[in-house]
Amino acid sequence: MSRNLRITNNKFIDQTSRISFKFDGKTLYGFKGDTLASALLANDIHLIGRSFKYHRPRGIMTCGSEEPNAIVQAGNDASMTEPNTRATEIELYEGLEASSQNCWPSVNFDIGAINNFFSPLIPAAFYYKTFMWPANFWKLYEYFIRKSAGLGKSPTQPDKDIYDHRYLHCDVLVVGGGISGIIAAKTAAKNNLNTVLIDDKNNLGGTTIFQQNECFKINNSYSNEWLKKEIETLNSIKNLTIKTRTTLAAYHSYNYLLARENLTDHLDLNERKDKIRQRLWKIRAKKVIIATGAMERPLIFNNNDRPGVILSYSIKKYIDYFGVKCGQKISLFTNNDSAYETAISLSNSGVSVNSVVDIRDRTNSLIVQQAEKLGIKIHWKSAVVNTNGYKKITSIEIMKLSDDDTTVVGKKIKQECDCLGISGGWTPRVHLFTQSGGKLKFRDEDNVFLPDKSELDQISIGSCNGDFELDSVVKNSVISTNKFLKVNNNDYENLKINSSNEINKKNIWLLPSNKPLGKTKPFLDFQNDSTANDVKLALREGFKSIEHVKRYTTTGMATDQGKLSNMHALGIIAETADVKMGELGTTTFRPPYTPLTFGAIVGRNVGEFFDITRRTPMHDWHAKHNAEFENVGQWKRAWYYPIENESIHEAVQRESKAARDSAGILDASTLGKIDIQGSDASEFLNRVYTNAWSKLEIGKCRYGLMLNEDGMVYDDGVTTRLGENHYIMTTTTGGAANVLGKLEDYLQTEWPELDVYLTSVTDHYATVSICGPNSKKIISKVIPDLNLSDKEFPHMSFRNALIDNIKCRVMRISFTGEHSYEINIQSSYGKSLWEKCFEAGKEFDITPYGTETMHLLRAEKGFIIAGQDTDGTMTPVDLQMDWIISKKKYDFIGKRSLYRSDTIRDDRKQLVGLLTDDPNVVLEEGAQIVLETKKQPIEMLGHVTSSYFSPNLNKSIALAVVKNGKKLKGQKMFVPMKNKTINVTITDTVFLDKENKRLNA
Amino acid sequence: MLNYNSTIIEAKEYSDIKISEVEPTLKINLRGKNRDFVTKIGKELSIILPTDPNTSSGNKELNLLWLSPDEWLIYSNDKNNLETINSSEDKLFNDISKTKLGSVTNVTDHWIMINLKGPKIFDMLSAGCPFNFNKFKYSKGAVTQTLLNHVDVIIHNKDINNLNLFVRRSFSNHLWLWMNDSARFV
Amino acid sequence: MFLINCPYCGERDQSEFSAGGEAHIVRPKQPTELSDDQWAEYLFMRKNIKGVQFERWNHSHGCRKWFNMVRDTSNDKIHAIYKMGEKPPIK
Repeated sequence: MSRNLRITNNKFIDQTSRISFKFDGKTLYGFKGDTLASALLANDIHLIGRSFKYHRPRGIMTCGSEEPNAIVQAGNDASMTEPNTRATEIELYEGLEASSQNCWPSVNFDIGAINNFFSPLIPAAFYYKTFMWPANFWKLYEYFIRKSAGLGKSPTQPDKDIYDHRYLHCDVLVVGGGISGIIAAKTAAKNNLNTVLIDDKNNLGGTTIFQQNECFKINNSYSNEWLKKEIETLNSIKNLTIKTRTTLAAYHSYNYLLARENLTDHLDLNERKDKIRQRLWKIRAKKVIIATGAMERPLIFNNNDRPGVILSYSIKKYIDYFGVKCGQKISLFTNNDSAYETAISLSNSGVSVNSVVDIRDRTNSLIVQQAEKLGIKIHWKSAVVNTNGYKKITSIEIMKLSDDDTTVVGKKIKQECDCLGISGGWTPRVHLFTQSGGKLKFRDEDNVFLPDKSELDQISIGSCNGDFELDSVVKNSVISTNKFLKVNNNDYENLKINSSNEINKKNIWLLPSNKPLGKTKPFLDFQNDSTANDVKLALREGFKSIEHVKRYTTTGMATDQGKLSNMHALGIIAETADVKMGELGTTTFRPPYTPLTFGAIVGRNVGEFFDITRRTPMHDWHAKHNAEFENVGQWKRAWYYPIENESIHEAVQRESKAARDSAGILDASTLGKIDIQGSDASEFLNRVYTNAWSKLEIGKCRYGLMLNEDGMVYDDGVTTRLGENHYIMTTTTGGAANVLGKLEDYLQTEWPELDVYLTSVTDHYATVSICGPNSKKIISKVIPDLNLSDKEFPHMSFRNALIDNIKCRVMRISFTGEHSYEINIQSSYGKSLWEKCFEAGKEFDITPYGTETMHLLRAEKGFIIAGQDTDGTMTPVDLQMDWIISKKKYDFIGKRSLYRSDTIRDDRKQLVGLLTDDPNVVLEEGAQIVLETKKQPIEMLGHVTSSYFSPNLNKSIALAVVKNGKKLKGQKMFVPMKNKTINVTITDTVFLDKENKRLNA
Repeated sequence: MLNYNSTIIEAKEYSDIKISEVEPTLKINLRGKNRDFVTKIGKELSIILPTDPNTSSGNKELNLLWLSPDEWLIYSNDKNNLETINSSEDKLFNDISKTKLGSVTNVTDHWIMINLKGPKIFDMLSAGCPFNFNKFKYSKGAVTQTLLNHVDVIIHNKDINNLNLFVRRSFSNHLWLWMNDSARFV
Repeated sequence: MFLINCPYCGERDQSEFSAGGEAHIVRPKQPTELSDDQWAEYLFMRKNIKGVQFERWNHSHGCRKWFNMVRDTSNDKIHAIYKMGEKPPIK
């Protein structure tokens, strides 16, 4: 069946380089420069897929990004296959394998097509209406609906391709490389503006580049020849960057734009290795010139969706640019002049044109005269009322329009054809303009929405601004660009332009038929299979807002975002509801303009670059010693160090026991550290912490609790007084950046009078923490000069020391309740110091422990972890930490909130300890705590915040927040779980060493 | 003896880009507001403190980078030994912080200095940095603090196609890998 | 993505900044003198208007300085930027 429909005299396609590809398993041939669509048409293949709802056969309708029908599954590899790609945008490459979508078992015989016969039973919102009841049947329906929903197949393997992001800053960005864009880009760049010109095609020139017609001339050359010379001059212009195969995806405020550049999709598969497939350009332009052109509209009439029904100008591009005949006997149906350009091109290439059916009264513009001269038959004031054929169009039926255009009259003429070109006029591509927040205005004369007001430094030029004739496109582009860029470029002065200007304009949104509307299928949204009837039904059912009609009928909601259908939907709504289109407005155009791959969106943020990781200076040691790591914010922290096949539980039990029985060593380098200097440093600490700081002696440490203004605990940590006006504050690992930010905020905005300076030194210091009864002996080996007696170096104090001549700060502080030291040394020596301590501790079986053991040890002592036992709703009083609130201080952050009516309520959730009746049962963190299990609904009184099996107490322990918990000590409560209810008793929060004897052990 | 450990093992060279770590170098963070502070620093270092945003000053040994209206970073051009670093810090600390003129904080190991050289370094940076380098590229001595692949960095334009980039030590390994990955595609 | 003219560093990408809520809400000098309602007014009440709004922003990944911004929340247009402690240049 395959015939060669290629003509030979063609400038754009290299007919010497043949490319083989597969479509639906069949091997076919095309040429370099083809799109998949043009190659398929050259092979006389029109049937590409089945429609979404009715499974009607569908073919190629356009030649660009607005294609609704010819969407295919591209690629056969499980990691690279891509659904819903437009055959009109896929550049042909050696090895391409594409297949039809939404059909089973094949596109030629599709069982789902039975839906077409039931179509009167599947009106708009069929699913909403049908599957509403009974409500609990949804579970059943959903399975089947999900199965039949969606188009194409997702890849099942990870994407092997490489994607990239790049920022770009320019003076002028020109979007669209047609004649207007080229004029604008050249003007900008020649005036020393750093200019970027992008176009989604592989070549510049837009539609003008293949427009070789007597009616369109510039300075006596054909418009295409004139433009070709202009493009050639671009190469020599400095300041101009041209990016082809680059689609503008999104236009955001402040002239921030995203563009996707396809770098390898057109290459043979074996040429793509190790190259970036797509690059997402993040463009910040001072000025933006939109020159995105216009797209042709279809016409809405019965059975306008058959394969072989193609937009008229696309037929022209296939013949003039690709050298492909869309048929042998082509009919055209139009409401404007542009179909005559197609008729002339076809005729010049030797394709017979049956006739042009024109809904207008006779008109005699230059282009029509030229067509008539070539002997092309024209049916004036007529309409196509039906098409025949199933997998491809075989004939059309033509009737005369009545005088008032509301109905068709007279005899029906049947005309055989294998292709029907349709043209419903032109729609300016204003999508980017509206994405950027621009407002549209409506031009009644030819029913177009045009750019109106914008807050941004941008203009639209050419046909996207409503200029559709060659002379107005060129002249207005030149004037607008010069004015917009405030330059005086005279390259385009005194151009002599010949153009055939349209005289007669007419538009009928829904063409009349000889059949009642209900018996016809005038498709509006081809991809989502909604017809003009669906829109009318929605209006009858009371929907008024276009946004509602859109969602109810799904018109414009497919992957093409209704590029072809929106205008007609609006037109029909306006007509039916009898309102003006300009008043109706449009639906919202949202980015991306065409679908983006996930790869392009994530760029290189995959695998090891998925998220930032921070490492401590001792990281390599932990890794070498088999540590499992835990993510704490961006940090990788040693979690536990399993020996051989130990489970996490076994390792943590061993580590916890060792730390209390002899010695443990922990990498605490991730704690936030802020250096505080200035004569008001003490006053500053008084204001940010709940407790008093003025009397802290130099060389002493103090634990502090920081609140938000609402009185809730925000962060905690130990701060050390290093000198008269010098402190070092530690924060939680996760809170470091936020605490510094918050403190800077107060200093800059509320207390600028304070002489205080903050500097983050988190990364400057590595922190080695050694705890346990033998910690003192180990430290004395590492720093023999330091007097470690309790009198000279008591708990909560600090000393400067030298280790091998390197300065360090040693703090005697404890987060485990054990006798414990923290050594801070500059990071470059952190790993070495760790190793030295580990070596010195060997005789005491020093055990490295991770964050899990640290959490367990502190829970035995009832120490909170801000962020685990607190959640932004806990005051210090709720935490039973009343002792840390200074009564004497006049003010500190959050003080006033501590006696708001809400914070002094008795029945707030308060921190308590929990013991399970069965000491071997470990509660789940997050489990709910109740008093009453019989009564429904059960009142949830609190939840478990921390829970462990304590090897040192040989029982399960937990911390929890419980309503009115302070007063409930000794109360039996329940933790209901899925299969059992656990009995618990509320206790004190401190489980081990209540007298703090171990600190000085 | 304690050993010095750097976060980055070796310099890497690509066509048009060379990435190398320059450590250990002295780095001191300075903060202060009043005129006495500015004068004192000038005297101590024999370098005028840069007060114009995004600029730097310096001499053969030291660079002074503007970070904010009351914050600067001192760093040395060449690698230093520990004694030099400590004595410089102590002297400044005693003369500035103890006299309540401002703050002096040793951040030698807080930041890692990475030198970037070659005609394509700005292309590599623009893969993950929203900063507009169009003018910066040609402004010798210019300083910017920005984000590179979501990580805070300070960038100092030493010379044409020759930058010193500062990243916090804990992020340095990650950013180093990212830069090397990015350099492959420039 | 805004382009914000930091009053210290110049024009920078929005990703270098963080927003800090409504501007010109001064922390009471004597919170303990306030009634619950007065304190709640300071603590919780924000205008959150559609239209021109006064906001606090921080150049958190640059100079770390806080400043004020007058922004129209309906179209994201920034009308003015001024330093902390300065009077708004427009009403």
